Amino acid sequence: MTALSYPSRIKFACSVVLITAISSCTRPQLPVSESRPYEGASGRVTGATLNSAPNDPAGEWRSQAHDYANTRYSTLDQINTENVAKLRVAWTFSDGTLNGHEAAPLVVDNTMYVVTPFPDILYALDLTRAGEPIKWTFKPNPAPMAKGKACCDTVTRGVAYANGKLIYNLLDDHTVAVDAKTGKEAWRTKMGNVETGETMTMAPFVVGNKVLVGDSGGEMGVWGWIAALDVNSGKELWRAYSTGSDQQVRIGDDFKPFYARMKGKDLGTSTWPADMWKHGAGSVWGWISYDPQLNLIYYGTSNPSPRVPDQRPGDNLWTSTIFARDADTGMARWAYQTTPHDRWDYDAVNEDILMDLPINGQVRKVLVHLDRNAYGYTIDRVTGEVLQAAPFAYQNWSTGFDMKTGTPIVDPDKEPHPNVKLVNVCPPDIGGKDWQPSAASPRTGLVYADIFNICMDVTDIEASYIPSSPFDGMDMKRYPAPGGNLGEFIAWNPVTGKKVWGIKEIYMTMSGVLATAGDVVFYGTADGWFRAVDARSGKVLWSQKLGSGIIGQPITFLGLDHRQYIAISAGVGGAATVRADEIALRPYDFPAGGNTLYVFSINGDSMSSGPGQMTSKDNVSTTQPETGNGTQH
Amino acid sequence: MNLRPIHSAIGIAALALLSALGGCKHSQGGSTTTRTASFPSDDLIGAVPLGQVAGEPARVVTALSIDDPYHDNRQAIQQGKQLYISMNCAGCHAYNGKGNMGPDLTDAEWRYGGLPIQIYETIRDGRPQGMPAWGATLPPDEIWKLVAYIQSLGGTVSVSDYEHARQGDQPGEQVAPEAQADAQFAPTTPIFPASIPDTTQKPSSSPTPAKPGNRKP
Ligand code: HEC
Repeated sequence: MTALSYPSRIKFACSVVLITAISSCTRPQLPVSESRPYEGASGRVTGATLNSAPNDPAGEWRSQAHDYANTRYSTLDQINTENVAKLRVAWTFSDGTLNGHEAAPLVVDNTMYVVTPFPDILYALDLTRAGEPIKWTFKPNPAPMAKGKACCDTVTRGVAYANGKLIYNLLDDHTVAVDAKTGKEAWRTKMGNVETGETMTMAPFVVGNKVLVGDSGGEMGVWGWIAALDVNSGKELWRAYSTGSDQQVRIGDDFKPFYARMKGKDLGTSTWPADMWKHGAGSVWGWISYDPQLNLIYYGTSNPSPRVPDQRPGDNLWTSTIFARDADTGMARWAYQTTPHDRWDYDAVNEDILMDLPINGQVRKVLVHLDRNAYGYTIDRVTGEVLQAAPFAYQNWSTGFDMKTGTPIVDPDKEPHPNVKLVNVCPPDIGGKDWQPSAASPRTGLVYADIFNICMDVTDIEASYIPSSPFDGMDMKRYPAPGGNLGEFIAWNPVTGKKVWGIKEIYMTMSGVLATAGDVVFYGTADGWFRAVDARSGKVLWSQKLGSGIIGQPITFLGLDHRQYIAISAGVGGAATVRADEIALRPYDFPAGGNTLYVFSINGDSMSSGPGQMTSKDNVSTTQPETGNGTQH
Repeated sequence: MNLRPIHSAIGIAALALLSALGGCKHSQGGSTTTRTASFPSDDLIGAVPLGQVAGEPARVVTALSIDDPYHDNRQAIQQGKQLYISMNCAGCHAYNGKGNMGPDLTDAEWRYGGLPIQIYETIRDGRPQGMPAWGATLPPDEIWKLVAYIQSLGGTVSVSDYEHARQGDQPGEQVAPEAQADAQFAPTTPIFPASIPDTTQKPSSSPTPAKPGNRKP
């Protein structure tokens, strides 16, 4: 404990800035020229379908992922490869907060709902009136303490709409439902104790009359869980922990994991040193998807705590694990641990996209999961069998994949141990891709993802569990992997496990992705470029630099004027921006923060832009809408 | 507060931790540094307000100038660094102090003041946006060692600047004559309205509390 080594303090200097391709202290070039299809790769998977029903109405966006299958695909096609270059800003909205904006706005009934990071304010914008004025503002007043407990910025990943209610999680561990018409609180349920370090950042997911929520705090030694609440009352119906006894994890007779490693009694305690599972994390801060035919939900759990693996010998089930559970009872059907005894904080919380894919001449019901550990998995979602596993991003922690046991083979040289500085481990804790959700198009059968190209030097330092403080122990420095680019936007073939094309980005790509029937896919970069790409060729068709970095999720919707709009929040923050000294990820010209929601249309046309608007009836109207007093304090 | 240094699967680490934490409870007189140092009294520390002193803009809070008894004690700084890690400060403020969940402790930006006594108060009492209060867990000498370690990171305010720091002044800066602290027109005494009409009908009790200064009839 005495010979603690410290990374020498990094002084800002241009020479440390990034990439070999760009000379130090010059502006990076646009990456557009780097867009090129990979040789010999087919831009299409024939026979692929998406298991997305029931969809949100085509012109609306009612949940973060737009559908049960988590495709983030829209059937709107007014904006297409021919005209997307004419995309211009139609209108904008600033919500007054500066932390990372990771949520997608919702559009329901000609109203747009925008949620802010802490203090988790919810705005309703009236899309029937020129200028899209605020209809109501809901201020939930979460506890300020929560700000200091959230590892990766005071973010929220958004709101879900169901039964006339907007449901979301507050950073201080309350789930709230707000009446969509009035902006009044319908119910509020306390789900945890923020003083332990537990927070909530994920977007709720609604299945029927149940809303599913989970916790955050993989760095704080929390006891991770997912829970179902009644949509109408907020009453908790069931809760399943990620570690502990089979009863606590909701494992019963129906539980049939595919691999031997995950079979046995009470593995949620026996794969840990005594009692360590109680603070073993496995928080549920990512995405949930649902197959209505199988009546199963799918989601992943976070890394184990502490982040010093030598303190917790064993597989540490059920952390860094994908679960399939009965949507009604929450009972586990199968589980698959992506990274056993997770030593690098890889988690398994990334989205599971439900697709039906032709594999070896047979159509299989699969889930596609691009994990933080850099493996792209195609998994049979009925049985939990891994059908395909191949790296989609640069990695060196694993030397291969054992298909028999469904386990990545670990390079022992990349295993961290206390007080030993381990250099060049790839990917770093934030993974080959983080939570930022990818999209899939049934027209191409491909998955489109913002990925990372980052490595780290890491020194483990043993951590003690002190309630209120982190249970962490990972001292690290992150920097670009070979190639020098930090980000890349890729098209991934989930049948072959191969990248079809990629667009390298100098800065991180941490935004959600939107795919549309116009065969255009949209993504953003951490330094603020918003781009539209041809879904087949990977050619960049349009770009615009926004006022802040983009880590939000693009959506599309139809206005009252039947025009197709694209919306995206700019407002950088999140996991990669919390540390002040990470100049390798955020050089001198990285955006300082800020927030604007941008709404685009062809030529920027809308009801509230262009000539004549100032005299429109809507604009001179001074009457308050009926619901004008929805403001809560 | 109940400290539970559980979960160290490595025996040596667990032992080291236990002794470190055990030391928290009754560690006075352990090391030489502890024996020789004398700490500012609770009364003196209590005299340091978090905010400006209302009604007395010119009042100088001399307690602000109290230095950390360990500020130049290398051994104590080293111990402060170890506490910074073992108490999980590093988890929130980063191992190099550059901040993540909690703010950067190496820069010149201080939400609650960068003077040693102010940092002491921050650590002892906690702060509302997620900084735990360590006063129940750590005895004064260990908090002072943490302060000394934070001072060694270079961003804190020197006690010789205790007057300046409050108004964002920089040492050696130029000052306009009108902005001199002792300028004659600087308000030094509060002025309250001569009387506030008593709208309540009750004859004896005044609804407004007694105020200091010149308002009393
Ligand atoms: C759970 C995370 C957490 C832990 C553990 C933690 N801090 Fe903090 N700390 C914070 C946060 C968040 C703030 C800002 C609080 C606020 O603004 O209200 C803060 C503020 C501070 C400040 C004041 C900074 C300023 O700008 O005025 C100091 C000094 C400090 N912490 C030192 C420590 C020390 C020393 C420890 C260990 C004994 C520690 N902290 C442990 C989260 C933490």
